[in-house]
Amino acid sequence: MSEKETPFVCLKNITKIYGFHKALDNVSFDLNKGEVHCLVGENGAGKSTLIKILSGAIAPDVGEICIDGQCFRSLTPRRAIELGISTVYQDAELVDSLTVADNIFLGSELTSRAPFLVDKRSQIERAQEIISTLHLPLVADMMVEELSASQRQMLQITKALYRKAKVIIMDEPTSSLGMEEKPALMNIIRDLRNRGIGIIYISHYLEEIFEIGDRVTILKDGINMGTYNIADVDIETVVQKMVGREASAFFSRRPVQIGEIQFEAKNITKANLVQDVSFSIRKGEIFGIGGLVGSGRSELVHLLFGAMQPDSGEIWLRGKKLTIRSPEEAIRNGIALIPEDRKRLAMLIGRSIVENTALIHNEFFRGSTLSRREEQILTSSIMKRLSVAMQSELQTIEELSGGNQQKVIIGRWLLDEGNFVLYIFDEPTKGVDIGAKENIYELMVKLAEKGKSIIMISSSMPELISMSDRIGIMRHGRMIDIVESRTVTEEDLIKRFIGV
Amino acid sequence: MNAQDRTTLKKLIKNQWFFLLVVELGLAVITGIVNPRFFSISNIMNILEQVAVLGIVSSGMTILIILGEIDISAGANIGLSSCIMAMLLQGSDSSFLPVLVGISLAIGNSFLVGLTSEVFRAPSFITSLAFISVFQGIALAITKGSFQTIYGKFETIGMARFAQVLPLSFIISIGAYLFVHFLLSYTKFGRRIYAVGSNPAAAYLSGISVTKTKLAGFLLNGLFIGIAATVLLSRIGAAQPSTGSGIELRAIGAVVIGGTPLSGGKGRIIGTLLGVFLMGIISNALNMLRVNPYLQEVTFGFLIIAALAVSALSTYREKS
Repeated sequence: MSEKETPFVCLKNITKIYGFHKALDNVSFDLNKGEVHCLVGENGAGKSTLIKILSGAIAPDVGEICIDGQCFRSLTPRRAIELGISTVYQDAELVDSLTVADNIFLGSELTSRAPFLVDKRSQIERAQEIISTLHLPLVADMMVEELSASQRQMLQITKALYRKAKVIIMDEPTSSLGMEEKPALMNIIRDLRNRGIGIIYISHYLEEIFEIGDRVTILKDGINMGTYNIADVDIETVVQKMVGREASAFFSRRPVQIGEIQFEAKNITKANLVQDVSFSIRKGEIFGIGGLVGSGRSELVHLLFGAMQPDSGEIWLRGKKLTIRSPEEAIRNGIALIPEDRKRLAMLIGRSIVENTALIHNEFFRGSTLSRREEQILTSSIMKRLSVAMQSELQTIEELSGGNQQKVIIGRWLLDEGNFVLYIFDEPTKGVDIGAKENIYELMVKLAEKGKSIIMISSSMPELISMSDRIGIMRHGRMIDIVESRTVTEEDLIKRFIGV
Repeated sequence: MNAQDRTTLKKLIKNQWFFLLVVELGLAVITGIVNPRFFSISNIMNILEQVAVLGIVSSGMTILIILGEIDISAGANIGLSSCIMAMLLQGSDSSFLPVLVGISLAIGNSFLVGLTSEVFRAPSFITSLAFISVFQGIALAITKGSFQTIYGKFETIGMARFAQVLPLSFIISIGAYLFVHFLLSYTKFGRRIYAVGSNPAAAYLSGISVTKTKLAGFLLNGLFIGIAATVLLSRIGAAQPSTGSGIELRAIGAVVIGGTPLSGGKGRIIGTLLGVFLMGIISNALNMLRVNPYLQEVTFGFLIIAALAVSALSTYREKS
């Protein structure tokens, strides 16, 4: 990588727009043979979008992808593999019920003299050859279901090498590994680099990047904040580049009178997901929860809402200990959850706005025959309050824009506001335009003013800092710290998220 | 006249139900031209009588399909409950108790299909497939495969005609449609049915018990099957284990032709009603045109495939 040759992979001025959101804005990125190029950034900074473009899963709106001198507008997954780009995913692409060797040769099996018959013996021999040149602790005729997470990863690397990969993309490769397995992976990466393979290494853990990387590129909100030689840069600078937005990115909210403690979670634990989390929220308080994806944030609120059962722990609301075995019971006790994944967990696709809005109201409704007129009147009043742009309440919900869909979903929890004490918002403004974002912030402040307690999970730093009174920080399933948002900066937060 | 009228007209033409109605009228006119007897009062009443049982079964099936479930044991369930009903009627003076037992049995059978599907987390398609064997086997065992005649004991429901013209069985099926329409459109339970069918995860997180809602759907389906068995037994005057077999396919076909996708969460009973009528008209027309009865079966099979294709194409179009 020392001599000035043209890079093997070259992404030029890539822009990708989803609706109104620029996932990538004029990003350029290159990779030489025999180099480890790290990609860092917050959740949603555009790292995944960039590698999806390189691996052919999605097409960029603007820009060019050049590999080994050939340039393309976009790639397909097949084309990318043919060009030597392989991705090592967390858990995908392996068939559990086949052996290691079978998985390596899947789709291009070696056949013996009789056609259609797989030549098992030579497959195993060939596979073992590749494995031993890499000094991997793998056995070619082992079943994949018996492999550990790290062995599965090694299998994927082996498979990539068999396909003559020249570039291997690793997305958070250490997140599924134990402490003792990391050094082995680092050695494999060094070995691959020495063979002239280029590696794109994505990780939240900056110390790994400083251990293994040659260069690092920092993305923030879809913009390339700079590419540096690891030797010329320190952790401090990288962190600063990852965050540090202008004041205009922050929302200034009205302060709300905060009252007595209203909600308490004590020692909430669920094996492998959430460890011993305790916190309390006062009346009128907005409690932010921050952390990396996979830190247990969503799992924690699903435990509070009864959608998952904790192994141990207590939930107290207004001085009363609750036993919550289902969302039904959580709702009856005054807890509302607006989940993160709108499409999968909240929207009734194909049903009208009225039905989507009246969903919770109907559950509170005693008696069995509904008044359609009343439903419609309630719906229009709440839609007006949230300024939802729509043609009629009888439209189906999927015809609305993302921001308006989110407002309808929030609206369903507002018809019977009086019944709720705690509102949990999981990523309330994900995939939502600026205007709708401000409506939603305003609404949360109003709920706080009415004495509700609010939990807000967010991946957006400005949102966490400007909306929350306090922020609980989750890492590896634990709430490691609770900070006052007045005194905290983006930089402080990201450091605690990733643990540097 | 103006733009708004024109868009309403366009919508009407695009509407699947309007299309169905046009097809049905077209079929009727063609058959009527070939064989004028098609439009005689007696033939029309005959059609209404023939579609009554199918309509009742399809009403229950509509609820299940909107819930994202299915019951292909409906025919076998009719066979078993009508055999039991007939055997009890043979040894009893009143018909009330036998009918009550028969309907309860049908409800219990359908509940079992739903319960096993929920408890073992298996698709109801598979559990109901297994229960076909169970129901048919029991019916064969207790009847030893023989015909159970009730000697005209219990003819009113199946044979009576309102004002000497309109068959009572058809009025019962209209009652079933109206009941399901009311249930789906005006009750809390109806909303839950759509919510569970459209997105079970969202329904669960909104405090709806998905299992209870589905089981209630199976109970209702059983009720309709029980009523259908009663009407059928009364009309035929006898029952055997194969009574009602094959009706599930026609019922599913009627529901799908009526625009309710098998993926659930959508659909209305008016569509099912039109689907049932289409089945009835085609069947009658084929008879009138003296088409080989075996080929009639082939026609129905293709009709259902065509309906599935239309439903698949329209979801495909929505996605793209």
